[in-house]
Amino acid sequence: MSTSKALSFKIQSECSTSRARVGRMKLPHYTVNTPVFMPVGTQGTMKGILPDQLENLNCEIILGNTYHLGNRPGVDVLKKAGGLHRFMNWNRALLTDSGGFQMVSLLKLAEITEEGVKFRSPYDNSEIMLTPEKSIEIQNYIGADIIMQLDDVVQTTFQDYDRIKEATERTSRWLDRCLKAHKRPEEQNIFPIVQGLLNPELRKQSALEHMTKDVNGFAIGGLSGGEAKDDFWPMVSLGTEILDKKKPRYLMGVGLAIDLVICVALGVDMFDCVFPTRTARFGCALVNKGQLNLKQKQYETDLNPIDKDCECATCKNYTRAYLHCIVSVETVACHLISVHNIAFQMRLMRTMRENITNGTFPKFVKDFVNEVYADKNYPSWIINSLQSVGINIIETYFLILYNNTITSYLIQIKKICILC
Amino acid sequence: MHFIVKQTGVGGERIGHLTDFVKIPGTILETPTAALFTQGGSVVHLTADVLSWVFCSPQLLWVPLSNSIQLEIGVKVQNDGVAKFAGLSGHATCVTLNNLSEVTPSGHFEPNKVPLWTKNGKKMISANRYMDVMEIFKPDIILAIADGRTSLAEGNKRVSKAVDRTKQMLKECLDRYKASKDLQSSMLVGVIVGVANSRKFDESIQNILNHVNTLGGVALEGITDGTEESMDVEIDKLKEVFEKIGSNLPKDLVYIIEGCWNPAVILSAIEYGWDIFDGSYPVKLTNAGVALKLNFDVTKENDTMYLLDMIDERYKEDFKPILEGCECLACKKHTRAYIRHLLNTREMLASVLLSIHNLHHFDQFFRHARQHIASKTFATFKQHITKQCEMLKTFAPDRYKGLNGALEKPTLQKNKKIRVSDNVNSNIDCNSCT
Repeated sequence: MSTSKALSFKIQSECSTSRARVGRMKLPHYTVNTPVFMPVGTQGTMKGILPDQLENLNCEIILGNTYHLGNRPGVDVLKKAGGLHRFMNWNRALLTDSGGFQMVSLLKLAEITEEGVKFRSPYDNSEIMLTPEKSIEIQNYIGADIIMQLDDVVQTTFQDYDRIKEATERTSRWLDRCLKAHKRPEEQNIFPIVQGLLNPELRKQSALEHMTKDVNGFAIGGLSGGEAKDDFWPMVSLGTEILDKKKPRYLMGVGLAIDLVICVALGVDMFDCVFPTRTARFGCALVNKGQLNLKQKQYETDLNPIDKDCECATCKNYTRAYLHCIVSVETVACHLISVHNIAFQMRLMRTMRENITNGTFPKFVKDFVNEVYADKNYPSWIINSLQSVGINIIETYFLILYNNTITSYLIQIKKICILC
Repeated sequence: MHFIVKQTGVGGERIGHLTDFVKIPGTILETPTAALFTQGGSVVHLTADVLSWVFCSPQLLWVPLSNSIQLEIGVKVQNDGVAKFAGLSGHATCVTLNNLSEVTPSGHFEPNKVPLWTKNGKKMISANRYMDVMEIFKPDIILAIADGRTSLAEGNKRVSKAVDRTKQMLKECLDRYKASKDLQSSMLVGVIVGVANSRKFDESIQNILNHVNTLGGVALEGITDGTEESMDVEIDKLKEVFEKIGSNLPKDLVYIIEGCWNPAVILSAIEYGWDIFDGSYPVKLTNAGVALKLNFDVTKENDTMYLLDMIDERYKEDFKPILEGCECLACKKHTRAYIRHLLNTREMLASVLLSIHNLHHFDQFFRHARQHIASKTFATFKQHITKQCEMLKTFAPDRYKGLNGALEKPTLQKNKKIRVSDNVNSNIDCNSCT
């Protein structure tokens, strides 16, 4: 166990079939029920939604982006405000990323060396070096309950083995520097990030290395970057298999409903993604089957709510027909759909927690997959990933029809077996 | 729907009650008041649940057809009026043709039709078509269709045609109104236009007088065409206009004035008996990133500006609320520094918080005005507020020439259009989910 008391994680119930589990993660500002989805409030705000609304939506933990917050409002302001919680008046839990991802994704001029990430400021063009120490220093000022180590980010679909190996090993070295630089271990938790992209060997090495550190939880990074789903799930599975089961495991950047269901089954406890709020701004509302693009003419006279089973303020009060009229014209449309989409994510996670607790999770997963793929045309990654944790969504007879997928599945299983 | 004058003040100012709303029985809206300005049927920037945190009682919604005509099909199918369709059942509605505080291109006119400027461009609309929409929208108050978008500097020919066209269209509106079963519980309001030409102005007033038995109120247009220059009218000039209308028309009508007027002008209008304002002023402030901060306490001298340009660097580390002691959610829970940050990063929550404060504070302004009318101290209150408005002119003439000056600032101009299409889609949202 870690020596820091800034996080305590209690597993309350476990699925007897899959690796899914329900837990309570006690953080300095709030106790979070896991599995949890964490909406992303990039710049200290959730895209037009008030903190009070987020509480009403039962959000227990939200994300802030260190890179953006470090630029605006800046460390000085956050310091004087007494941290991000007080600056934005959010009284529940917060998590900040390390800023490394934005450096690489936003800034073409970033150069990564052993010291850190060097880049040109988009604000005044000056040269800035973001080191692991600097990232933690900023995150210490922001004051989130969970903070992330700076990792060496390589695009997920990158192929060069040497570079991936370097990045994975450097991430581990940077973890040590982050832990050493951490000034507030009693109030904030650093999560290491398992790297290694799609290479099982490197991932295993990274996970095992991070397991030796004095930390309260782990993140699985470097995924959800455009890789094939068949490549994605074995890496998640590998992570949850190796990482300490007594600690929360956070899968970064995943937020599609079907992905959440599968990865909860694989044993992930925490997720984040901009998708629900971003897609809302394009007029897309989330439903179990996917999303409704409310701009479409078919909703012009549709007096139903987005989802008749949804209890959010939007579904209780507004019709699809009305949202159709104002979508992409009025800011209110963004707010209304964002509220629904966050409510949707929260409800999905709550339903999963309830089903795990009640021992009905495998059935829930099957029903969910059947609703999404009503034509029974299941993608191979869904069949295989669920199969790997003991949930069979198709009968044996049909399995034969999926001969090809099974072959690739067996190969993957073999790979993992060899590694473990 | 009915209007009753409950109490008169020392001058022409009065307290009135709007009552007998079909959909919200028992509700009384006190005047003078400002409506809540809507776009696409929603109170600008605020969802229904957030609005319910700002106002716990029914409000009057101001619904310009120019930004809500796209709701027609849906409202028709639902068949329960525009407020219900927009998720705001429980509030009263007042529908008008255009948003008078918006600049629109000039264009040609057709006989007995006026242009409706929508986001999809210009639509020529007749009185009959207008009343068709009214039967679908079922508002509590209908402002008759009018050609009111002329400034005081407008030429005689244009003004003359505006008055004639409005006269003809009012006749058509009245015919439809009298014949319509659906509209019997709505109040029809005649519109005065063409103020620029004294003879035509008289004619426009006379035209209201001719139908005064059917009309429940009178609205004033024909002063501004929506441009900044046209809004910059001397209060004395407006007083002449108010005087002329007041001395010619009966007092039991409800008096509605359109346009984005500052608090000093509003109080002058109230002094001449005007009852309802369109609520565009706080919305324009919000969209310009400006917070309203009037000092209502007549016993205290005011030494600060009544408008705060919230994006200003000076608020960067200012952890006070916009207005100390303000009971709105934005002031109780958030700081100037946070709002400044949200404006600086062009986050939509800035407009939400500013809307909450500005609408609440503007409502408080009318509440105080009514209290002073009731206690016969309106003149003192008016003087107290007017002084604050004048102070801004003296201290920062080019920066805030009333509100209109603030909008001329290029940086504010940019913020003015917080439209989803510009702002949201182009926003680079950064996260590990790509």
